[in-house]
Amino acid sequence: MSISNQPLLLPSARPPSRVAIRQAGRYDADLSAILLETLREFRLPVAGRTVLLKPNLVGLDPERVIDTHPAVIAAARETFLRLGAAQVLVGDGPSLDRDFEAVVESLRLREAMGRLGNTMVDLNLEEPRRIPLRTRASHLRELYLPASVLQADFVVSMPKLKTHHWAGVTLSLKNMFGIVPGSCYGWPKNILHWAGITNAILDLNSTVRPDFAIVDGIVGMEGNGPIQGRPKPCGVLVLGDDPVAVDATCARVMGLRPERIEHLAKAARLLGHLGEEKIEQIGERIQQVRTPFAVLDEFAYLVAPASSGV
Amino acid sequence: MAWSERLRDRASCKLLPVNSSFCVYNRFMPAWDEEAPGAFREQVCLPMLRGSQNQDGGWGYRPQSRSRTEPTSWALLALRSLPQPDPWKEILDRGTEWLLQTQLADGGWPSDPDEKQGCWCTSLALLALPSQAPDSKAVTKGLAWLRRTWPAEGGFWWRCRYWFERRPQLVRQNFALRGWNWTPGTSSWVEPTSYALLALQSPEIRDRRLLRRRKLGEAMLLDRMCPGGGWNAGNPLVYGVAGTPAVGPTAWALLALRSERSRTEIIQSLDWLESAARAVFGPASLALAHLCLETFGRKTAPLEPLLRASYESSQFLDDVLTFAWTTLALTPERTWPAAAASGGTA
Repeated sequence: MSISNQPLLLPSARPPSRVAIRQAGRYDADLSAILLETLREFRLPVAGRTVLLKPNLVGLDPERVIDTHPAVIAAARETFLRLGAAQVLVGDGPSLDRDFEAVVESLRLREAMGRLGNTMVDLNLEEPRRIPLRTRASHLRELYLPASVLQADFVVSMPKLKTHHWAGVTLSLKNMFGIVPGSCYGWPKNILHWAGITNAILDLNSTVRPDFAIVDGIVGMEGNGPIQGRPKPCGVLVLGDDPVAVDATCARVMGLRPERIEHLAKAARLLGHLGEEKIEQIGERIQQVRTPFAVLDEFAYLVAPASSGV
Repeated sequence: MAWSERLRDRASCKLLPVNSSFCVYNRFMPAWDEEAPGAFREQVCLPMLRGSQNQDGGWGYRPQSRSRTEPTSWALLALRSLPQPDPWKEILDRGTEWLLQTQLADGGWPSDPDEKQGCWCTSLALLALPSQAPDSKAVTKGLAWLRRTWPAEGGFWWRCRYWFERRPQLVRQNFALRGWNWTPGTSSWVEPTSYALLALQSPEIRDRRLLRRRKLGEAMLLDRMCPGGGWNAGNPLVYGVAGTPAVGPTAWALLALRSERSRTEIIQSLDWLESAARAVFGPASLALAHLCLETFGRKTAPLEPLLRASYESSQFLDDVLTFAWTTLALTPERTWPAAAASGGTA
């Protein structure tokens, strides 16, 4: 059952978080080895349990620049199986295209993962259950959520490193919009936009807080993301057990100020750590991999000055 | 290589037996006869639709999942559109009864029977109810619900707020043109507007208020067309960048605008769909593109071999909607949406 039972704690009451940055220049690198080595450091409680990988599958992506890359998804699946998970499902509810099979085929996921029938889950069409939300940031109060998410023991948010024309960035917290079923709310899930993107992100993540995050930053997207931006090679995988800390680290890698990204700043109050002093860095240092992403003019205030050290 | 090209390769090979451990509805299917014309519809799609009807008369999105309004409506519509639906009477009656039982007091239909608010599924339920009963109480209430239901955007105060927030540069669209939303309290989008317009296409509808709503919805769809033709979910231009059309929304919007078939926008969009249909990535998109192009009398590639090859590799992921749309697309003599007389297979 993945309804979060983690206490919502103020930053001062929360232990430090750990975030790993690993360099991976290409999708044909040995990503499984990188992930296995890193995940072993986190000692994740996945043995014998059902793991749900939640990649960012927005819509059709034959060029493989919008959605989480299939090589990263396949490597994560293999790694969790090697760590002893009883079952590793891959599920998402694309928001812009109802044809789930077309989204999966456009990415050529089958080539990366083999037969999909017992592995891939279209969260848009899953049996939904109405769940009360743990926080009241938005007016939503409750949401239908899909069975695979509710029944999973361990949920991994797997976004792509992208800018977003409404939210500033779309990373592991925003990625959770994809678990909301289209069969209840439509394509796109406009109810979340009308509830306020920031507030909906907070309510959703307080209720189904991802247990872990793996960000595909090998090639990200800058500018008018999440679908019309430009591919941005960045050469990293960012991983961690605190999605707020992972997203804050990603923002710093992108040359952005996480404290100015509204949903991250608010999430830091109850859901995870934003400040670098509370994040134990594993692997590469941010400065070593920092790759400034271009943003729309509307988000110029997010950009950290090059001299800031961010 | 595009999905459809890979499928064409596969379609030319002998099909393998279906993996029965994967496909839960295989038990409904007789022996496979891939050579017979129309075999795929008769031997795969129809048995699947028959076998996945629940005890309560409805259909779920997947076999053995609980009944929901959308899959029930599409399954009913597919079966009712067969040229000879009589053998399906008992199934159709049970499905119709489920729909009538789940209508809300205000005339709308919810997406899930536990839900208390009507939504886009109302249009689909109206499409699926028997055409010989347009004056029935359920249809009248459903049409009234469609007439009363407005999207959240476009009102005076909303426009004031939008202007003050200085967001007019975000999207380019005329907010005075209002269609229908997916769920209450949200914006107009292409697909729910198209479904509503399809439900309002009956010549029996003479209510002037409904006809005015229909005109407004048609104008909204035309306004939301992507530059160069075709539709996506409903954002033709964001921050000055043209949106990319998608097969599903384009097919539904075109079917909803059938009466405007000589307009430049429709011809442009049909051209886009014809070109996109050569490189689609999934069976649902393939079926919808075929259904739409055939309805407009455009030439289409043979559909059945591609669907068979796709089915062999994925069993359509057990998606009842895909089977329903495939049934419609593989029925050229269907009663809805009626194919144009000049249609043909390339």
